[in-house]
Amino acid sequence: MVKGRKIVCRCEDLTEGEIIHAIEEGYNDLESLKRYTGATTGACQGKGCLMHIIRILSQKTGKSPDEIGVTTQRPPVNPVPLYILSEGDVE
Amino acid sequence: MKVAIIGAGVMGLSTAYYLSKSGIDVTVFEQKYLLYGASGRNSGGITPMIDREELIPFALESMKLYDTLPSEVDFNFLLRKEGYVKLASSERDAETLKEEVWMQNRFGVSSRIMTPEDVRDFIPDFNPDSAVLASYCRESGVIFPWPVVWGLAKGCRKHGAEIKTQSRVERIETNGSKLIVYSNGEKYRFDFVVNSAGAWSNEISKMVGIELSNRIIKEEVCVTESIKPYINPYIYDISSGVYVTQTARGEIIGGITGMEVDKIDTSSTIEFAIRYAKRVVQIIPKLKGLAMLRQWAGVYDEGRDGLPVIGFTEVEGFVQANGLGKHRGMVIAPALGKELARLIEKGENPSIKKFNPERL
Repeated sequence: MVKGRKIVCRCEDLTEGEIIHAIEEGYNDLESLKRYTGATTGACQGKGCLMHIIRILSQKTGKSPDEIGVTTQRPPVNPVPLYILSEGDVE
Repeated sequence: MKVAIIGAGVMGLSTAYYLSKSGIDVTVFEQKYLLYGASGRNSGGITPMIDREELIPFALESMKLYDTLPSEVDFNFLLRKEGYVKLASSERDAETLKEEVWMQNRFGVSSRIMTPEDVRDFIPDFNPDSAVLASYCRESGVIFPWPVVWGLAKGCRKHGAEIKTQSRVERIETNGSKLIVYSNGEKYRFDFVVNSAGAWSNEISKMVGIELSNRIIKEEVCVTESIKPYINPYIYDISSGVYVTQTARGEIIGGITGMEVDKIDTSSTIEFAIRYAKRVVQIIPKLKGLAMLRQWAGVYDEGRDGLPVIGFTEVEGFVQANGLGKHRGMVIAPALGKELARLIEKGENPSIKKFNPERL
């Protein structure tokens, strides 16, 4: 049983099977798949899982990674504690 | 009767859901994917404790609909009803809160004024020095906007509606009593076209020659890493516009009430992140060590007089369903969609007459 659990997103604890299930439910574009499963929205913000998600989506839909694209990249690049932001300057 | 809905946000899909439930043939056109617009970018605070009396009945009705819709459409909206706190940090804003509560009580909302010390009963780490007065309403909470949209879409499909994503409407023509919609190289004929395109409603309206001139508001939001459930009520500081709550996933989500912009813009700014962080660590100092993971922006629209724009127009069959405004789209849309569906079906509905586009 454990053997069959191929984890593809460690932050959100998602298996390959769960990603495939979501694609089969109709969440078959990258932005919808991201939101439905939570993949790429955890602590790593996609650094560890985005390529796996694109690979699975490509294998399931037959679309090339270029056609699938990547999720919108949003700041910050790395997590920033609120106290550091709160010491910033604004006009 | 054939109806087109332009924009698959919570307003468009609520309308589509109730129309299709009545057996009407509905097609929804979404320019990108579900959740691309404001319904997929907001923080999910829902309360009848709003500042316009005209909208309170719809907020109260939507709160009830949110209790039954999830089982009706078989989708969990992840609703947490754990209250809503408004803060005022100046004497003038404290007066506003008192006036609001007095008005809300007259319209059947059980909101009440409390001291900042009282807020600690709900949020133990709240800093009472960060506000001069607060108001609170128990029958409020946080909903996850994504499953609301997916669930309504599922309900629409169950009743036979078609939802076309990546289907931007390029042109609308009038032809006798029919409206012709052009999208992705195809043309479709409808009896009614509903403009529920949010911040894009002005553009859609121009296609039939109507100047809508809704205000376009840009708002920024961010999330931190997840922690265990810690902040139960939704918190909104009316003085700074900063709001903060915790999602069902444990992230602390918050933002600052948006400002009017000339054109649609969803860029993120460091100025927002700094302003938000400064205020939020005053309100709940313990959040200081928590890391912000991601920030984004969204756009929505507001009618020129601050009220939604809903109803028939001078162009036969063209219907407005937009301009829902700040801090309330999620909590008024289900009820407004239900009433708009009735207007389209019956040809009249006095309950939403005050939102008629012709008033502007």
